[in-house]
Amino acid sequence: MVLLTRKIEFAASHRYDNPNLSPEENRRVFGKCNNPHGHGHNYTLEVTVAGEPDPVTGMVLDLKDLKELLEREVLQRMDHRNLNVEVPELAGKIPTCENIALVIWNLLEPKLGGGKLHRVRLYESADLFADCYRAAASNGHAPAAEEAR
Amino acid sequence: MIAAEGGAEVRRAHSPGSAGGLRVELGRRYRFAASHRLHNAKLSAAQNRELYGKCNNPHGHGHNYVLEVVVSGAVEAATGMIANLADLDAYVEKQVLNDYDHKSFNEDVATFRDVVPTTENVCMDIFARLKTFPLAKLERIRVEETGNNSFEYAGEHTEEIVS
Repeated sequence: MVLLTRKIEFAASHRYDNPNLSPEENRRVFGKCNNPHGHGHNYTLEVTVAGEPDPVTGMVLDLKDLKELLEREVLQRMDHRNLNVEVPELAGKIPTCENIALVIWNLLEPKLGGGKLHRVRLYESADLFADCYRAAASNGHAPAAEEAR
Repeated sequence: MIAAEGGAEVRRAHSPGSAGGLRVELGRRYRFAASHRLHNAKLSAAQNRELYGKCNNPHGHGHNYVLEVVVSGAVEAATGMIANLADLDAYVEKQVLNDYDHKSFNEDVATFRDVVPTTENVCMDIFARLKTFPLAKLERIRVEETGNNSFEYAGEHTEEIVS
Protein backbone atom coordinates (compact mmCIF):
# COMPACT_ATOMS: atom_id res chain seq x y z
CA MET A 1 0.00 0.00 0.00
CA VAL A 2 1.30 3.44 -0.94
CA LEU A 3 -0.13 6.85 -0.06
CA LEU A 4 0.10 9.63 -2.60
CA THR A 5 -0.80 13.25 -1.96
CA ARG A 6 -1.66 16.04 -4.35
CA LYS A 7 -1.80 19.64 -3.18
CA ILE A 8 -3.80 22.53 -4.66
CA GLU A 9 -4.54 26.05 -3.54
CA PHE A 10 -7.60 28.20 -3.91
CA ALA A 11 -8.77 31.57 -2.65
CA ALA A 12 -12.29 32.10 -1.38
CA SER A 13 -14.35 34.30 0.90
CA HIS A 14 -16.77 33.31 3.64
CA ARG A 15 -18.71 34.50 6.64
CA TYR A 16 -19.82 32.60 9.74
CA ASP A 17 -23.40 33.44 10.63
CA ASN A 18 -26.16 31.19 11.94
CA PRO A 19 -29.59 32.69 11.13
CA ASN A 20 -31.09 30.85 14.13
CA LEU A 21 -28.94 32.91 16.51
CA SER A 22 -29.30 36.58 17.38
CA PRO A 23 -26.73 39.06 16.03
CA GLU A 24 -25.22 39.27 19.52
CA GLU A 25 -24.94 35.49 19.80
CA ASN A 26 -23.40 35.27 16.34
CA ARG A 27 -20.80 37.86 17.28
CA ARG A 28 -20.02 36.07 20.53
CA VAL A 29 -19.76 32.60 18.98
CA PHE A 30 -18.01 33.49 15.74
CA GLY A 31 -16.09 36.64 16.68
CA LYS A 32 -14.30 38.30 13.78
CA CYS A 33 -15.56 35.56 11.43
CA ASN A 34 -19.05 37.07 11.78
CA ASN A 35 -18.04 40.34 10.09
CA PRO A 36 -21.10 41.16 7.91
CA HIS A 37 -19.12 41.68 4.72
CA GLY A 38 -17.11 38.47 5.05
CA HIS A 39 -13.40 37.88 4.70
CA GLY A 40 -11.23 35.43 2.79
CA HIS A 41 -8.40 32.94 2.92
CA ASN A 42 -5.87 31.25 0.72
CA TYR A 43 -6.84 27.65 1.27
CA THR A 44 -4.46 24.76 0.72
CA LEU A 45 -5.98 21.37 0.04
CA GLU A 46 -4.03 18.11 0.36
CA VAL A 47 -5.74 15.03 -1.03
CA THR A 48 -4.21 11.69 -0.09
CA VAL A 49 -5.07 8.50 -1.98
CA ALA A 50 -4.12 5.00 -0.85
CA GLY A 51 -3.60 2.02 -3.11
CA GLU A 52 -1.29 -0.53 -4.66
CA PRO A 53 0.79 0.62 -7.64
CA ASP A 54 -0.52 -0.88 -10.88
CA PRO A 55 2.04 -3.46 -12.12
CA VAL A 56 2.01 -1.99 -15.64
CA THR A 57 2.02 1.76 -14.95
CA GLY A 58 3.65 1.78 -11.53
CA MET A 59 0.96 4.22 -10.44
CA VAL A 60 -1.76 4.11 -7.77
CA LEU A 61 -3.70 6.41 -10.05
CA ASP A 62 -2.75 8.78 -12.83
CA LEU A 63 -1.84 12.12 -11.23
CA LYS A 64 -3.13 13.87 -14.34
CA ASP A 65 -6.59 12.38 -13.73
CA LEU A 66 -6.44 13.44 -10.08
CA LYS A 67 -5.37 16.95 -11.12
CA GLU A 68 -8.32 17.19 -13.53
CA LEU A 69 -10.73 15.86 -10.89
CA LEU A 70 -9.53 18.50 -8.39
CA GLU A 71 -9.77 21.20 -11.05
CA ARG A 72 -13.34 20.21 -11.94
CA GLU A 73 -14.76 19.44 -8.51
CA VAL A 74 -12.89 21.85 -6.25
CA LEU A 75 -11.28 24.71 -8.15
CA GLN A 76 -14.14 25.44 -10.53
CA ARG A 77 -16.55 25.27 -7.61
CA MET A 78 -14.61 27.17 -4.94
CA ASP A 79 -11.68 29.15 -6.34
CA HIS A 80 -12.34 32.90 -6.23
CA ARG A 81 -15.86 32.28 -4.98
CA ASN A 82 -17.93 33.26 -1.99
CA LEU A 83 -18.44 29.97 -0.14
CA ASN A 84 -21.67 31.12 1.51
CA VAL A 85 -23.55 32.03 -1.65
CA GLU A 86 -21.86 30.35 -4.61
CA VAL A 87 -21.29 26.76 -3.46
CA PRO A 88 -24.62 24.87 -3.31
CA GLU A 89 -23.09 21.98 -1.31
CA LEU A 90 -22.42 24.42 1.54
CA ALA A 91 -25.89 26.00 1.49
CA GLY A 92 -27.34 26.09 4.98
CA LYS A 93 -24.00 25.14 6.55
CA ILE A 94 -21.43 27.32 8.27
CA PRO A 95 -18.45 27.26 5.85
CA THR A 96 -15.86 26.23 8.43
CA CYS A 97 -12.74 24.28 7.62
CA GLU A 98 -14.47 21.14 8.98
CA ASN A 99 -17.55 21.52 6.76
CA ILE A 100 -15.58 22.43 3.63
CA ALA A 101 -13.34 19.37 4.13
CA LEU A 102 -16.43 17.15 4.46
CA VAL A 103 -17.98 18.62 1.30
CA ILE A 104 -14.74 18.09 -0.62
CA TRP A 105 -14.53 14.49 0.62
CA ASN A 106 -18.06 13.80 -0.60
CA LEU A 107 -17.34 15.42 -3.98
CA LEU A 108 -14.15 13.44 -4.58
CA GLU A 109 -14.72 9.99 -3.10
CA PRO A 110 -17.28 8.69 -5.63
CA LYS A 111 -15.34 10.03 -8.64
CA LEU A 112 -11.81 8.93 -7.80
CA GLY A 113 -10.34 7.10 -10.80
CA GLY A 114 -8.21 4.67 -8.80
CA GLY A 115 -7.07 3.90 -5.29
CA LYS A 116 -9.07 4.79 -2.20
CA LEU A 117 -9.50 8.25 -0.75
CA HIS A 118 -7.51 8.19 2.50
CA ARG A 119 -7.41 11.75 3.77
CA VAL A 120 -8.62 15.22 2.85
CA ARG A 121 -6.68 17.93 4.69
CA LEU A 122 -7.79 21.52 4.22
CA TYR A 123 -5.65 24.37 5.55
CA GLU A 124 -7.45 27.65 6.10
CA SER A 125 -4.12 29.16 7.14
CA ALA A 126 -0.73 27.70 8.02
CA ASP A 127 -1.92 27.36 11.62
CA LEU A 128 -5.39 25.87 11.14
CA PHE A 129 -6.53 22.77 9.30
CA ALA A 130 -9.23 20.09 9.25
CA ASP A 131 -8.64 16.44 8.35
CA CYS A 132 -11.38 14.15 7.03
CA TYR A 133 -11.07 10.35 6.99
CA ARG A 134 -13.38 7.45 6.43
CA ALA A 135 -13.66 6.06 9.94
CA ALA A 136 -12.29 2.64 9.08
CA ALA A 137 -9.14 4.15 7.57
CA SER A 138 -8.26 6.30 10.53
CA ASN A 139 -5.62 4.53 12.59
CA GLY A 140 -8.22 2.54 14.49
CA HIS A 141 -9.71 5.47 16.38
CA ALA A 142 -13.41 5.65 17.05
CA PRO A 143 -15.58 7.42 14.46
CA ALA A 144 -16.63 11.04 14.99
CA ALA A 145 -19.54 10.04 17.17
CA GLU A 146 -21.37 12.13 19.71
CA GLU A 147 -19.66 10.31 22.58
CA ALA A 148 -16.32 11.68 21.37
CA ARG A 149 -17.34 14.97 22.93
CA MET B 1 -22.16 23.60 23.54
CA ILE B 2 -21.38 26.07 20.81
CA ALA B 3 -19.11 28.30 22.83
CA ALA B 4 -17.72 28.39 26.31
CA GLU B 5 -16.58 31.54 28.08
CA GLY B 6 -19.87 31.82 29.90
CA GLY B 7 -22.04 32.01 26.80
CA ALA B 8 -25.55 30.63 26.53
CA GLU B 9 -25.64 26.96 25.68
CA VAL B 10 -27.44 26.14 22.46
CA ARG B 11 -28.92 22.71 21.89
CA ARG B 12 -26.51 20.52 20.02
CA ALA B 13 -27.51 19.34 16.59
CA HIS B 14 -25.03 17.40 14.55
CA SER B 15 -24.39 18.03 10.91
CA PRO B 16 -25.40 15.21 8.61
CA GLY B 17 -22.02 15.81 7.01
CA SER B 18 -20.28 14.10 9.90
CA ALA B 19 -22.42 11.01 9.48
CA GLY B 20 -21.82 8.38 6.85
CA GLY B 21 -18.77 6.95 8.57
CA LEU B 22 -16.62 10.04 8.08
CA ARG B 23 -14.38 11.34 10.80
CA VAL B 24 -13.14 14.90 11.09
CA GLU B 25 -10.21 16.24 13.04
CA LEU B 26 -9.22 19.83 13.69
CA GLY B 27 -5.57 20.83 13.78
CA ARG B 28 -4.21 24.04 15.21
CA ARG B 29 -0.62 25.30 15.51
CA TYR B 30 0.84 27.39 18.32
CA ARG B 31 4.30 28.78 18.96
CA PHE B 32 6.36 29.21 22.07
CA ALA B 33 9.98 30.05 22.81
CA ALA B 34 11.73 28.38 25.72
CA SER B 35 15.18 27.46 26.96
CA HIS B 36 16.44 24.17 28.25
CA ARG B 37 19.53 22.24 29.21
CA LEU B 38 19.75 18.51 28.71
CA HIS B 39 21.42 17.21 31.83
CA ASN B 40 20.83 14.13 33.96
CA ALA B 41 21.96 14.65 37.55
CA LYS B 42 22.48 10.90 37.96
CA LEU B 43 25.28 10.94 35.39
CA SER B 44 28.76 12.42 35.74
CA ALA B 45 29.70 15.72 34.11
CA ALA B 46 31.75 13.81 31.53
CA GLN B 47 28.91 11.38 30.81
CA ASN B 48 26.47 14.27 30.38
CA ARG B 49 28.78 16.02 27.92
CA GLU B 50 29.27 12.77 26.04
CA LEU B 51 25.54 12.00 25.91
CA TYR B 52 24.01 15.42 25.25
CA GLY B 53 26.86 17.26 23.51
CA LYS B 54 26.09 20.96 22.89
CA CYS B 55 22.71 20.53 24.57
CA ASN B 56 24.54 20.03 27.88
CA ASN B 57 25.96 23.57 27.83
CA PRO B 58 25.72 24.63 31.51
CA HIS B 59 23.95 27.91 30.74
CA GLY B 60 21.29 26.37 28.53
CA HIS B 61 20.03 27.34 25.11
CA GLY B 62 16.62 27.84 23.53
CA HIS B 63 14.33 27.07 20.62
CA ASN B 64 11.30 28.48 18.88
CA TYR B 65 8.96 25.55 19.30
CA VAL B 66 5.86 24.87 17.19
CA LEU B 67 3.06 22.92 18.83
CA GLU B 68 0.41 21.23 16.67
CA VAL B 69 -2.72 20.10 18.51
CA VAL B 70 -5.23 17.76 16.83
CA VAL B 71 -8.71 17.17 18.27
CA SER B 72 -11.65 15.16 16.96
CA GLY B 73 -15.38 15.14 17.52
CA ALA B 74 -18.73 15.63 15.89
CA VAL B 75 -19.17 18.71 13.70
CA GLU B 76 -22.01 20.68 15.25
CA ALA B 77 -24.65 21.84 12.78
CA ALA B 78 -25.15 25.14 14.63
CA THR B 79 -21.52 26.20 14.31
CA GLY B 80 -19.96 23.92 11.69
CA MET B 81 -17.21 23.30 14.22
CA ILE B 82 -15.75 20.43 16.21
CA ALA B 83 -14.73 22.94 18.85
CA ASN B 84 -14.76 26.71 18.90
CA LEU B 85 -11.22 27.88 18.17
CA ALA B 86 -11.48 30.58 20.81
CA ASP B 87 -12.11 27.87 23.41
CA LEU B 88 -9.28 25.66 22.17
CA ASP B 89 -6.88 28.61 22.00
CA ALA B 90 -7.80 29.72 25.53
CA TYR B 91 -7.32 26.19 26.88
CA VAL B 92 -3.91 25.72 25.23
CA GLU B 93 -2.85 29.13 26.48
CA LYS B 94 -3.94 28.36 30.05
CA GLN B 95 -2.65 24.80 30.18
CA VAL B 96 0.57 25.07 28.18
CA LEU B 97 1.63 28.44 26.79
CA ASN B 98 1.34 30.40 30.04
CA ASP B 99 3.71 27.94 31.70
CA TYR B 100 6.03 27.39 28.75
CA ASP B 101 6.43 30.54 26.68
CA HIS B 102 9.57 32.54 27.39
CA LYS B 103 10.48 30.24 30.24
CA SER B 104 13.30 27.89 31.16
CA PHE B 105 12.00 24.32 31.19
CA ASN B 106 14.59 23.31 33.77
CA GLU B 107 14.02 26.22 36.14
CA ASP B 108 10.42 27.30 35.60
CA VAL B 109 8.32 24.23 34.75
CA ALA B 110 7.70 21.91 37.70
CA THR B 111 7.44 18.81 35.50
CA PHE B 112 11.09 19.14 34.55
CA ARG B 113 12.62 19.45 38.02
CA ASP B 114 13.51 15.75 37.81
CA VAL B 115 12.81 15.00 34.16
CA VAL B 116 15.23 15.88 31.35
CA PRO B 117 13.43 18.39 29.09
CA THR B 118 13.97 16.59 25.81
CA THR B 119 11.23 17.26 23.29
CA GLU B 120 10.04 13.66 23.78
CA ASN B 121 9.36 14.46 27.43
CA VAL B 122 7.93 17.88 26.54
CA CYS B 123 5.45 16.13 24.19
CA MET B 124 4.27 13.80 26.93
CA ASP B 125 3.86 16.69 29.38
CA ILE B 126 1.85 18.72 26.85
CA PHE B 127 -0.39 15.74 26.07
CA ALA B 128 -1.11 15.28 29.78
CA ARG B 129 -1.93 18.99 30.10
CA LEU B 130 -4.33 19.00 27.13
CA LYS B 131 -6.09 15.64 27.33
CA THR B 132 -8.58 17.16 29.77
CA PHE B 133 -9.90 19.59 27.10
CA PRO B 134 -13.64 19.28 27.75
CA LEU B 135 -15.06 20.21 24.33
CA ALA B 136 -13.42 17.67 21.99
CA LYS B 137 -11.23 14.59 22.14
CA LEU B 138 -7.49 15.17 22.06
CA GLU B 139 -6.13 12.90 19.32
CA ARG B 140 -2.44 13.75 19.22
CA ILE B 141 0.11 16.49 19.45
CA ARG B 142 3.25 17.22 17.48
CA VAL B 143 6.10 19.46 18.60
CA GLU B 144 8.72 20.89 16.26
CA GLU B 145 11.86 21.73 18.21
CA THR B 146 13.35 23.15 15.01
CA GLY B 147 12.25 22.94 11.41
CA ASN B 148 14.26 19.72 11.19
CA ASN B 149 13.19 17.87 14.35
CA SER B 150 9.63 17.01 15.27
CA PHE B 151 8.05 14.67 17.80
CA GLU B 152 4.53 13.24 18.04
CA TYR B 153 2.60 11.75 20.89
CA ALA B 154 -0.94 10.38 21.06
CA GLY B 155 -0.99 8.93 24.55
CA GLU B 156 -2.00 5.31 24.56
CA HIS B 157 -2.91 5.58 20.87
CA THR B 158 0.62 6.41 19.74
CA GLU B 159 1.22 2.77 18.75
CA GLU B 160 -1.88 2.87 16.53
CA ILE B 161 -0.38 5.74 14.54
CA VAL B 162 2.66 3.61 13.84
CA SER B 163 0.79 0.39 13.02
